Amino acid sequence: MFRKVMATSVLLMCSLLLITGSASTAEGNFRIATVVKVDGIAWFDRMRVGVDEYAKETGHDLWMVGPAKADAAEQVQIIEDLIAQGVDALCIVPFSVEALEPVLKKARDAGIIVIVHEASTQQNADLIIEAFDNHAYGANIMKQLGEHMGGEGGYLCTVGSLTSKSQNEWIDGAIAYQKEHFPNMYEVAPRIETYDDATIDYQKIKEALVAHKDLKGVCGGPMPTSAGAGLAIEERGLQGKVFFVGTGLPSIAGQYLENGAIQAIQFWDPAIAGKVMNKIAIAFLEGKQDIVKDQADLGFPGFESIRQDPEKKNLFYGAGWVVVTKENVDEYNF
Amino acid sequence: MNTLSKNRLFQRNEFWLLCLLIVLSLTVGAVNGAFWSANNLFSLFKSTIVTGIFALGVFLVIVSGGIDISFPAFAVFSFYITVKFLLSIKYTGTILLPFLMSMTFGACLGLVNALLLSSFQLAPLIVTLGTGSAVTGFLRAFVGTATLSNLPQPLIDFSRWNIYKKTLADGSIVSFSGAFLILLVLAILIHVMMKRTTLGRGIYAIGGDEVAAKRVGFNVKRLRLFVYSFTGALAGIAGIIHCSLIRLANPRDLEGAEMEVIAAVVLGGASLTGGKGSVAGTLLGVALIVLIKGSLILVGVPSDWQKVVIGLVLITATGLTAWRSRRSDEGGRA
Repeated sequence: MFRKVMATSVLLMCSLLLITGSASTAEGNFRIATVVKVDGIAWFDRMRVGVDEYAKETGHDLWMVGPAKADAAEQVQIIEDLIAQGVDALCIVPFSVEALEPVLKKARDAGIIVIVHEASTQQNADLIIEAFDNHAYGANIMKQLGEHMGGEGGYLCTVGSLTSKSQNEWIDGAIAYQKEHFPNMYEVAPRIETYDDATIDYQKIKEALVAHKDLKGVCGGPMPTSAGAGLAIEERGLQGKVFFVGTGLPSIAGQYLENGAIQAIQFWDPAIAGKVMNKIAIAFLEGKQDIVKDQADLGFPGFESIRQDPEKKNLFYGAGWVVVTKENVDEYNF
Repeated sequence: MNTLSKNRLFQRNEFWLLCLLIVLSLTVGAVNGAFWSANNLFSLFKSTIVTGIFALGVFLVIVSGGIDISFPAFAVFSFYITVKFLLSIKYTGTILLPFLMSMTFGACLGLVNALLLSSFQLAPLIVTLGTGSAVTGFLRAFVGTATLSNLPQPLIDFSRWNIYKKTLADGSIVSFSGAFLILLVLAILIHVMMKRTTLGRGIYAIGGDEVAAKRVGFNVKRLRLFVYSFTGALAGIAGIIHCSLIRLANPRDLEGAEMEVIAAVVLGGASLTGGKGSVAGTLLGVALIVLIKGSLILVGVPSDWQKVVIGLVLITATGLTAWRSRRSDEGGRA
């Protein structure tokens, strides 16, 4: 008897859930999850601000999740759970492009729209939106670093992970720019992996300064390198002898910009990237995917005239990067 | 008499660890002479501070027959709340208060571990896995996820505290962090406690054979309370030092630190079944891990291979100590 009651009530609850679930979509409330590489770092905290703001603006059910630590398997697990929950669309910032392919295929097979950011080589995606062309972003870092170094000497590049596609493309772009414009510069060692951890950045850069007496510049891929390099340079009293230009946020690297340990940080506003991804996802769900085309204006700074990749038709680039130096560091509060 | 002490020396785990450490140092030094520079050695010593204090705590727990994997979470919780509080009152006093606060938070959390363990008779691995993840979750949900880089001045001053500082001919600075003294003092304190007091003997006793320890008259419950609270307090100290030295209060810091620390303690000769181990061995284990991790760039191991090398050296080192101790056990029986 008891069992029967239990079974019926469970069935009832399930059907209730189904009804409410379909009801909410019928009202036009899409459920869209933004899944990032790792939750709780300043970068993605800022993206959450954008996603939350956009949820308020549009009235859709938008939220951001991510693994507690940068780990491909955990990100896959989160996406699996979201597929099971039956979200309408997924906006993904992959930690490892390859590791996500199977689960993203599964999502698309289940009818979920998949929008990807920071992963230009992703195969299983409805659309890939990049804040900029990765090679151009890296080239711009190297342009500034090369100028500070006077076009001469050894430099070292860092990436969060050797499997992180975008960061490695930035560094590829930076190295290509150096070879073309600063022939007297050279890499002291192949790019190093620092796991998005400022402590590891700090320790490895200090070690590299010992190992390579000719090291004069650091080209930072991941955001924490700006803090790690800043601390290492300050501690060794190498201001004006060793230079740093790379990705960073004012809230993390501000103190080192101000005391001259590092020269410039470059970033794009993750809040805007979060909004753009969700805007595109909603457009796809509403059947208005043709708002995303070459030269289109998506209505956000840096995305006023997006560019379609000539070979990969579902890949689009914005042109939104910001360079922050000692002079304008006060203008940013994140 | 002389031959006896000689035999004892060869049988000691610490002796072989020291040999291994020397051989590794000589090898790295032979590949890259810069290894022996003051800059590199001081920086290696600095890297041992935080891992070393954590390891002292884990050493106590392991000797008492338990295990603790919650300490990185406790450390982060303690320093993050401390920093957040001090920032809110715009604290500018001495370094003592931050240390005391962080230590107290850590000790209280450690006490929770001990109470859960003794009142529910649960396995320490499960309890500390649970408390660690609960504390991390609580921190992120209710306290904050943002990385704070504008630390209170006393913490910044502490990170700049050196017991040796010299400006080289080329204008760069060599410095030896004063925080190393804290590790040293704690290590001596714990060594004396473990070898010379009833408290220490009690901890060895309950780890060796709990029933026997009880019969002899040790208060097992009270000893456990002490061990876990003390380990929590050490985690709090290590946390605030870590936060000060890297000059960031990052709520997702130190993740995965438990594995490295436990590896160092086991490498140092502590037996995971309890009752065996020494402070000297623990410190040598830490030194070995820091040396391996901090010399890969010097030796020129490319990033992709660094993890492989770390894994292989660890397996070899633990394998060697295990093999040697089994052989000496057999020798003892024969």
